[in-house]
Amino acid sequence: MWTLRVDNLEKTYDDGATWANNGISLSVQSGEVFGLLGPNGAGKSTLVKQIIGLLMPSNGSITLGDVDLVTDPDYARQLCSYLPQAPMPITAFKVREAIDIAGMIRGGSRPEVQKRRDQLIEILQLEEWRDTLGTNLSGGVKRLVGFAMAVVEPAPIVILDEPTNDVDPLRRRLLWQVVRDLGERGSGVILVTHNVLEAEKSVDRLAIIDEGKLIAEGTPSSLKNDDRGSLRLQLMLPPGSRTPPLPSYIGENVRVGNNVVGVIPETYAAEGIAWAQGLMTEGIADEYALGATTLEDVYVRLTGERSATT
Amino acid sequence: MTLSGTTLPAKRFGVSHWFAMFAQLFKWNVLTLRLALPVLIMVQLFTGVGMVLGFSLLFGDINEVAVLYLATGATVVALVTVGIVVGPQFIAQERLQGTYEWSQSLPAPRTAAAAAWTALNVTIAVPGALGALAAARFRFDASLVITPLVIPAVLLVLLSGTLIGYAYAHTVSDPQTVGLISQILIFVIFGFSPIAFPATNLPGWFAAVHRWLPFQSMGDVVRAGLTNGIVTTTTRAFVVLSVWTMLAALVSTWAIGRRP
Repeated sequence: MWTLRVDNLEKTYDDGATWANNGISLSVQSGEVFGLLGPNGAGKSTLVKQIIGLLMPSNGSITLGDVDLVTDPDYARQLCSYLPQAPMPITAFKVREAIDIAGMIRGGSRPEVQKRRDQLIEILQLEEWRDTLGTNLSGGVKRLVGFAMAVVEPAPIVILDEPTNDVDPLRRRLLWQVVRDLGERGSGVILVTHNVLEAEKSVDRLAIIDEGKLIAEGTPSSLKNDDRGSLRLQLMLPPGSRTPPLPSYIGENVRVGNNVVGVIPETYAAEGIAWAQGLMTEGIADEYALGATTLEDVYVRLTGERSATT
Repeated sequence: MTLSGTTLPAKRFGVSHWFAMFAQLFKWNVLTLRLALPVLIMVQLFTGVGMVLGFSLLFGDINEVAVLYLATGATVVALVTVGIVVGPQFIAQERLQGTYEWSQSLPAPRTAAAAAWTALNVTIAVPGALGALAAARFRFDASLVITPLVIPAVLLVLLSGTLIGYAYAHTVSDPQTVGLISQILIFVIFGFSPIAFPATNLPGWFAAVHRWLPFQSMGDVVRAGLTNGIVTTTTRAFVVLSVWTMLAALVSTWAIGRRP
């Protein structure tokens, strides 16, 4: 078993004037799926690039087991495989070729890589594109091929940046199955995403980063602890309308587009429903929904309007 | 790399690892350009052949010495344009498409990546150079001779051109600036470098500048390897070119190894 430890990591630009990462500390165990969440520009990519040896930290340390990844970036690249958010450069590759070469560059032997490639093609249901050139693939299939390239020869740390972008719902499930399998094989998986609901279902633990700082870390349920005994009241307002005055029992709230989402104590559920129905009757709201709080509520509460607008 | 569950995989290094990575990255490069490779080779072929035939149309009857300058100059242009102009544009395109960082994150020695890139450039450039020589031979009956010197000369020209291109493409992070530099270089190489004509044709100050730039030396070493009597000494040209190659290698090593 090994642990990736990021300790008090700092990354500054412009001679220290701009902080991309500000004292981030976290750890990822082997076998764990760890979510890294945060709005655009929060510092997630900067953190990842320091782990894989593309950026030099201004301060702090990154270790995997006994290996100092900062002082040995060549080893860091061997120990961490990476699926970037950008499309993979596989336009002229057949699907099987792209996966094979990626696996062999990652140190796999040809027979092992080919066996695992066939398994991935089958699990991700990519058989019909096996010999198709990348230029003829849809965005979602290309994404899955990129994912297969990152995991065909599993590294101790696998970093996946928005792996499900453009992927259809069925294959998303298949992809998450492979991610869980990676954990069982011993890899620590870092999932970088904006998709909080998907992360909630897929990760063991997660960290939320905002403006370069780690603002929360824990399991999805521990992060929702503060909201226990609360409900989520969502009002859908007509486009362009103002947010109506909110009753005092609605605590933290945020407006995202035409939706106002607030947290209310369970004991105020009946009042909340009556109030929302009243707004609908008066034409102030189009719809409302009352339900259990989600990780997304926690995320929006913690990152505030910045994430609501990105 | 197999995960045992208790210990981290050992670091891969050494000569056999380097060659294995070189082979995989060369294959990766060839497949990346699979759709464009035939076109690129044809363009290089047309560049070499076209320069020989086109310049002769421009100047009408040309004497034997001019034919030899043209033949060897077109060969050099065909050898260096891929590495110094086309290659950097591909790297700039990688940056634009966002795939550059993924390439840099691959667990292969950076020197193996540079060597694989050089090998690809050689593959694309050599047919154009051979085409230029063949065109000069058949169109003008150019009295080319092949001396042993041609081997180190061609290798050094290929290496210096590729590494100069590699160095600036990896050093300059703005793709537009890389594109601009490559355009300026092709303009200088084609029109204002004593590659296909003697340096004495240039104004004195410009000829003096070219004594320290790599282009004239590229022409001189290849001409010395393919002709008799035109180039009297090649020592200085080999030294200048070697220094440029080493400088480009140093800058390349720094650029691909740096972590901003």
